[in-house]
Amino acid sequence: MRRREFLRYGGAFAAFTAVSTSFPSFSAAQTTDPADAPTGEEADFDLEIVDVDVELIDGSVVPMYAFAHAGKTPTIPGPILRVKQGDTVRIDIRNSSSRSHGFQILGQDNASASGLDPSDGDGEDKARIEFVATKPGTYFYVDGDNMPINRVLGLHGALIVEPKNGFADGAAKKKPMPYAPASSASIKSLFGALGEAAIGGKPARFPGKAWQAGREYIWIFNQIDPVLCRRVAAGENFSASDFQEQFHPRYFTINGLCGLDSAHDKATCPTGNTGEPALLRTMNAGLATHSPHIHGNHVFVLTQSNANGVPVYQQDLFEHDVWLMPPMMVKDVLLPFTAPPDIPPAPWRMSQEKYPLRYPMHCHNEISQTSAGGSYPMGLVTDWHIDGPLATS
Amino acid sequence: MTTIYRPISDPLEYDTFGCHPFENDPATPDRTTRQVFFQRQVADWNVDMKDGSQLQFWGFKDPNVSGSDSPWPSKIIRVKQGQIFHCEFKPTKGAHTIHWHGIEPTPMNDGVGHTSFEVKSSYTYQWCAHQAGTYLYHCHKNTVLHFEMGMYGVLIVDPVTASPDSGNPKYLYDPYDRASTTEAPGITVGAPYAAESILVFDDVDPVWHKLDHNAGMCGDDVGLDKFDPRYFLINGVHNGLTQIDRRTTTTTTAGKNVLVRLANASYSRLHVTLDVDAWIVEVDGRPLRTNVAKGAFAKPKLLPKGTRLEVAVAQRYALWIPKIPRGDYRITGNFHHWITNKKHFDGQAVAKIIAT
Repeated sequence: MRRREFLRYGGAFAAFTAVSTSFPSFSAAQTTDPADAPTGEEADFDLEIVDVDVELIDGSVVPMYAFAHAGKTPTIPGPILRVKQGDTVRIDIRNSSSRSHGFQILGQDNASASGLDPSDGDGEDKARIEFVATKPGTYFYVDGDNMPINRVLGLHGALIVEPKNGFADGAAKKKPMPYAPASSASIKSLFGALGEAAIGGKPARFPGKAWQAGREYIWIFNQIDPVLCRRVAAGENFSASDFQEQFHPRYFTINGLCGLDSAHDKATCPTGNTGEPALLRTMNAGLATHSPHIHGNHVFVLTQSNANGVPVYQQDLFEHDVWLMPPMMVKDVLLPFTAPPDIPPAPWRMSQEKYPLRYPMHCHNEISQTSAGGSYPMGLVTDWHIDGPLATS
Repeated sequence: MTTIYRPISDPLEYDTFGCHPFENDPATPDRTTRQVFFQRQVADWNVDMKDGSQLQFWGFKDPNVSGSDSPWPSKIIRVKQGQIFHCEFKPTKGAHTIHWHGIEPTPMNDGVGHTSFEVKSSYTYQWCAHQAGTYLYHCHKNTVLHFEMGMYGVLIVDPVTASPDSGNPKYLYDPYDRASTTEAPGITVGAPYAAESILVFDDVDPVWHKLDHNAGMCGDDVGLDKFDPRYFLINGVHNGLTQIDRRTTTTTTAGKNVLVRLANASYSRLHVTLDVDAWIVEVDGRPLRTNVAKGAFAKPKLLPKGTRLEVAVAQRYALWIPKIPRGDYRITGNFHHWITNKKHFDGQAVAKIIAT
C-alpha cells in the first residue's frame, strides 16, 4: 500500500483493545539532549507477524512466531530496524499469524500497539506506531502482548538509534562513536583513544584504527522450550506465571542460531584485524540469565538498559570477560580487537602459530552450551577471529 | 506455513565442532624460555556433602605434591605479572584441556577444543600475564559437565611491586603512579592488603556426578539441560561448615586492610553481601582506575555493607576492606535459579572474616 493511501488508516490502531499483560508505555525521553528534537527526517518500516516452523540445530522442528519485512522471509530475531536520532519513525504492523499479537519498542515513547487481531487478508488492517527516535543506543522491539510468551516464542528484534552527531573529537570528526558526545565522559575518552598509537608522548593501548560507524555486531540471546512451543501452537493459553514456572529450555540461541551455525554466521561472528575495534550490541530476549564469556580480549561495558529498556550510558567502563545478562537486559560492549594481551612481549614473535586467531564467546552458565540435553557445545556460543596483524588507518 | 531452516553445514565440521573435537599433543608453538613452571595432571576425589554423602569430583593435581593428591578444588596457581608461564599438562582418563580463564593467550594456549585442540596425553601451555588480578583455570572439554565436576582452580596474578606500607605489604596491582590521588579515587592506589580471603562459590547436582566423561557429546540426551543443585559450597567446603573451616575463614588483625576475591563457579545466579563496607577494586582481572593512555576508564566503587552484588557465572570481583574494624564479618552467598531467580532450597553459603 502506498503511503498516501495508508494515511487514512493511520489512526486505526486506536480501535484495538489494550491487553493488560503488555508492558506499560514508559516515559523514555528523559534526556535533555537537543539532538533528540525531531529533524523532519522519516524512517518507515512495514512489518508483518507470521507463524513459522523453526528447524533447530539437531534437525527437530518447533512452531514459533516471527517478524518479517512485510511479504519477505521471516527471521528470528526480527529484522534490524536502524534509524537516526531525531527521525520520525513510522512502523506499520500487520498480523498474519493465527493468533492475536502486539508490537512495542521498549524505551521509546508512543511506540506501542496491542491487541492486533489476525489479518483478514485484504491488506488494509494494519496498525501504525509513530514516534520520534531519541537517545542513541540499542533497543528491544517485541510483541509486548501476552508477556513474556510471544516474545520468547520468537517475536523480538533490535531497533538501533544512531546519533545525529556521533563523534568523540568534535569538529575534527575523525573519531566516530555510536552515541552523542555528551553521553559519558568515559565513553568519549575511550572512543577518542581508539586508534591512537601514543597519548601524551607515551605508548597507548589502542593503536590501529578508530572505531568506524557500522563496525558492529548484534547478539540477541534466547532460549527455546520445544514442549511449550508446541503447546502454545496447539492453542493452549498460559498465564505469564504458569509459562515461567513451566519454562524448561532445551535450546539456547544467539541470533536464532546454535553452536556450529552461530560460529559460522557472518553476521554473528566478529572478524577483523588487530586494531579494528567493534561494537557488540548484546541483548537477552529470553527468561534465563546468561553470563556471556569472551576469550582473547576483554570488553568494555558501555551501556546497560534500565528497567524501562532505556540505555544508561556508563560513567565507569568496567572491563569484563564475563558480563551479566538477565532477562531483557541490553548492554552495548566494545570489543577492542587488540592483540591478545597475554601473549609474551617482544622480542618474542608469533611465527609458528598463524592468523586467523580464533576465539569463542560462550555463555558460562554451561547448561546453555547444550542442545536437547547434551551435544556440547551446540548452544549459545559463537566465535570471533583476529584475522591479521595491526591495521593502520 | 513458512519454515525457517538452519543453515547448511558440513557434516564433518559438525562432528569435529561437537562430537569428536580434534585431539593432539603438539609441541608448544613459538616456545620461549620460561620464568615460572607448573605441572598439572587430572585426578578425582570423593568430597563430603552436607548430608554425609560423598560425591566424586574431578580436578587438577600437582604431581610434585608428595604422598597423595592435593585436595579438591584444585590448588591455587599464583604467578607474577610479566612472567613467561609454562604449565605442563598431562591428562589421564581421556582428553582434557586447561583454559586460563581471563588470561588471553594465543588460541593454541587457550585450551578450547573447537578453536584449537584437546590434549590427548601431554601439552605445555605458554602465556605471559600482563595484568595482575583474579582469574580461574578450568577444563574446557565437555565444559558443561567438566566444570560442574569441579575441574577448576583459582589463578592469581600478583603485581611486581610490594606495597611500601609494612602493615599492608601486598598490592593487588601495580599502581601506575603511587602518589596519584586521582588514579583510583576512594582507595589507596594498588589496594594494599595484609590478609586475603579467596572464595569460590559452587553448587552441586548429585545426578550429574554419576555421568561419564564424554556424556552427551554425540547427540544423546543425558539430561544436561536439567540442573537441580542440592549442595552449596565455598572452596569445596559444604555450607554446614563454611563459617568454621579454615579454608573459608580468614583471620586478621583489626585495623589492617583485607582483600576479598570472589568467583562464581556455580550454575546459579549468585548474590553476595558483606556485612562490612568494601570497595570494588577489580573486576575480571582488571583493576578499576583511570588512565587514558593505558586504556583504563573506571573508578573503584563503594559496596556499602548489606548491599547485594550479583556475580555472574565465572565472573570475578576483588573487594578491598580498608582498616577493618574489630569484629566477625559474614560474606554471604545466596544461590538463585538461573531462570526463575528463586533462591534454591538451602541455597546459602557463608564465609567469615575474623578481625581480632
